[in-house]
Amino acid sequence: MTTTTATPTSTAGAARRTRSSGGVSFLRVVHSEWIKFRSIRSTPWTLGFTLLSMVGIAVLAAWGNSSFDEGQGAMSALDSVQILTAGWFIAEITVVVLAVLTVSGEYSTGMIRSSMTAVPRRVPVILAKALVVAVASAVTTLLALALAWLAVQPWADSLGLTLELDDPDVLRILLGTPLVLATIALLALAVGALLRHPAAALATVLGVLLVLENVLRLLPFTVVQKISVFMPASAGTRLLTAPDALAAANADPVTPDLSAWQGYGVLAIWVVALLTLALVLLRRRDV
Amino acid sequence: MIQAEHLVKRYGPKTAVDDISFTIRPGQVTGFLGPNGAGKSTTMRMIVGLDRPSAGHVTVNGSRYAEHKAPLHEVGALLEAKSVHPGRSAYQHLRALGATHGIGAKRVEEVITLAGLEPVARKRVGGFSLGMGQRLGIAAALLGDPHTVMLDEPVNGLDPEGVKWVRTLVRHLASEGRTVFLSSHLMSEMALTADHVIVLGRGKIIADAPIQELIDRASHGAVTVRSPQADQLAGLLQQVGATVRSAEAGVLEVVGRTSEQVGEAAAGAGIVLHQLVTQQSSLEEAYLQLTADSVEYHSGPLDGPAQPTGADASPSGADAPLTGSTAR
Repeated sequence: MTTTTATPTSTAGAARRTRSSGGVSFLRVVHSEWIKFRSIRSTPWTLGFTLLSMVGIAVLAAWGNSSFDEGQGAMSALDSVQILTAGWFIAEITVVVLAVLTVSGEYSTGMIRSSMTAVPRRVPVILAKALVVAVASAVTTLLALALAWLAVQPWADSLGLTLELDDPDVLRILLGTPLVLATIALLALAVGALLRHPAAALATVLGVLLVLENVLRLLPFTVVQKISVFMPASAGTRLLTAPDALAAANADPVTPDLSAWQGYGVLAIWVVALLTLALVLLRRRDV
Repeated sequence: MIQAEHLVKRYGPKTAVDDISFTIRPGQVTGFLGPNGAGKSTTMRMIVGLDRPSAGHVTVNGSRYAEHKAPLHEVGALLEAKSVHPGRSAYQHLRALGATHGIGAKRVEEVITLAGLEPVARKRVGGFSLGMGQRLGIAAALLGDPHTVMLDEPVNGLDPEGVKWVRTLVRHLASEGRTVFLSSHLMSEMALTADHVIVLGRGKIIADAPIQELIDRASHGAVTVRSPQADQLAGLLQQVGATVRSAEAGVLEVVGRTSEQVGEAAAGAGIVLHQLVTQQSSLEEAYLQLTADSVEYHSGPLDGPAQPTGADASPSGADAPLTGSTAR
């Protein structure tokens, strides 16, 4: 007969001393979610892919412009920043995948039972996840923009690329990109918490942001077109739109006018509403 | 200490837990027995607040589980074994759970050692065997050094050494004055570990008693006698009003007389006895008797001659191999 397991005598003794003071706090839940976030493989994969695709597409955009626009003179500061942020739409997809999996992945694996037993008030778990996912998305995007700037340097001279950080529109688009992506991540996280099923949540978020919003924009009914302006991605991406394109959009007599920040505000309202609904249901539903 | 009062859980039209009240006391192992679908897991989920009771309430050490500032120090629970992300290592899983309470790496290493998980602690949980998953679940339950330990089917999937480990562990935890509550459908396991048993059937409490009382209550008090003069003895006992059945030649089963009375009657008539035994029900029998009406999923009868007929229909006859006997 073999006895490879330690005798249970060790449950007490040292254990008693480890009884921590204070119990659960939001900061501790954030720490816990950070450990969870960085200890599964999907995190480096999705964030790494975000980084690579944003840098890669900026390089492609710079290279493409240099082969077509040869001899057309220097690019404006706004054109430069739009080359850097050209890959944001791929980052949108990867960030949505990451955010949805962070919550619904716990439901599909059963991990949620452990999480909610440790923090039975439940709400801090989702809020901590939201914080971790939003910060990680924003930091990754910001890093991608910095790396993209380095990566496009071979074409900087021929294209006349500049980074004029004192231009308010340049700064808005440059910092707006991580902000909008982090906010869309929160939207996806809220839907993941509402639907709980990874495939259902992913299909819903990507279906609305990438398909439904574009279909609504194309339908020739004024009511639908008016609504489409207030859809999350359509409204939120106004923060990433150059002033002339923004003016053109607002020139349409049918659709309501939204400034860059008003557009972002509409996206933020979507997030607050969905997250609130998710948290209310989280408290009511069985885990 | 766990106290449930008029606890009810309904899922749509189905009532999983039907108005149960019980108290689970510290310093002893309380077993939670019941057939599949009886409501054991649902009750345990309500105790730690995963399921919201439809009516009634349950408290742990005086308050609702969710109201405790440090829940993991109050109750350590093993619910379904795979309450773990398969892509995460056992170590990181425990680190993440502990972090919510400021429990550090040192305690995590302790419970890993305690559960015998050192060789696999840094491996992804997805590749764990059922037994390793159970050990991780038990390690997680002990992480907060809790006053109350609640384990749902802890020996499921464990090898004999693991079963013995859990048995020793829960006895030890109870001896430290902790409240230990564990569910099982293995009656034999309960007989070895539990001091007190709550039997659940179709969401209702069928029995809530010390384990010995439960066994005694179900005893039918029959006496088995083996004698070369069985027929003569049978006649003698029937004359004084005892019920006598014979499952095989030379063996009698006597109801209504103690073994002493049977022995004295035989001696008085000069009858030779080869064996004189008082039947005592096993917990298994007691349990089957208690839950006979409340089994959710009945198995169909097996074909063939296994059906008890005639004299074999007596409980001790049919269940003879399960019956623990006390020789006098």
